[in-house]
Amino acid sequence: MNGLPVYEVFARAKHDEPLKHVGSVNAADDDLAKAYAWTLYDEESWVEMCVVRREAVIPITPHGRLPVWGN
Amino acid sequence: MSDATMREFESLEGLGEAAAEGLHHLLWALADTKLLLGYHYGEWTFGTPALEAAVASCSLSQSELGHARLLHALLKKHWGEDPEALVEQRAPAAFANIAFLDAPIAGWPALVAMNAVVDLAATRVLAALEGSTFKPLRMSIGKMLDEERHHAHHGRGWFRTVGRQGGDDAERLRTAAGQALAAVAVWLGPGDDPGGRALLNAGIVSQSALDLLAALAGDVRHLADEAGVAVPSPTPAAFNGWDPRTRRTTSSRGPAEDIVFHLRGGANALFKLGE
Repeated sequence: MNGLPVYEVFARAKHDEPLKHVGSVNAADDDLAKAYAWTLYDEESWVEMCVVRREAVIPITPHGRLPVWGN
Repeated sequence: MSDATMREFESLEGLGEAAAEGLHHLLWALADTKLLLGYHYGEWTFGTPALEAAVASCSLSQSELGHARLLHALLKKHWGEDPEALVEQRAPAAFANIAFLDAPIAGWPALVAMNAVVDLAATRVLAALEGSTFKPLRMSIGKMLDEERHHAHHGRGWFRTVGRQGGDDAERLRTAAGQALAAVAVWLGPGDDPGGRALLNAGIVSQSALDLLAALAGDVRHLADEAGVAVPSPTPAAFNGWDPRTRRTTSSRGPAEDIVFHLRGGANALFKLGE
């Protein structure tokens, strides 16, 4: 899926747990990113899940050291 | 509930014959539609344009089959229906699913139309049952609607993607979405259906068939505008010989024999546990 935006997926399994990064998806838009994230990363009954466009993430560490996780 | 002064029903007792029958038919229609949606999403676990869409189709199939099972449990408890017989023993013509699902889904644009129009139509009916005075049903609706949110995201996302690509696939999407809307219009039924009116009067549903169709057509129009696809508005449906049990007219024969064969577990009866 070259050329499609990458969305980072975050979720928490319990209300008192921090959100953690669980993976990423390639999707044409926000709706598809939500559907793909929910159906791909279904190993837990998440109480919260959200996606963030990777391009919206502001790096603090030097550029080029973002994690790759399959993308 | 749709009206705080309306009576709540724990069972069919006191509901009245017309409303009880109308609800029976509506649950058949929803269960059959979800069974067929589950089948087609399952078929489209392979052949999708993206691996993520394959996983999504498989997941959507699972949730539709789960919803069918939930509705079958209600049919068993309140009408004494045998869930196995509902699938195994009925002739295809007795299935009350939206007719768009009667034939194999021929390509990805048609699958997207099924997702964005047919699946959404069933969800709109569920939403009209969210405040139902029939408590056993109301208790099951929240779970189904929660899961349907993901179906709607998938349908909308792909509708925009295919539509904005243009070309032949956008044209196929336009055609399929128009056919899907027309099929839904028949399935929702005529405005003067006594069963539908009884459900509305008893507070079982909060919207009439015509209101549901208008709302769905609005959803589709909005999405089609975003996608740049000119989906035709549904023309008034012809209800010649419309049967409230199957939600079909005399010209509709039910799902293809091949599809019904694959829905049934009868061919594998040998392996059923406990028999």
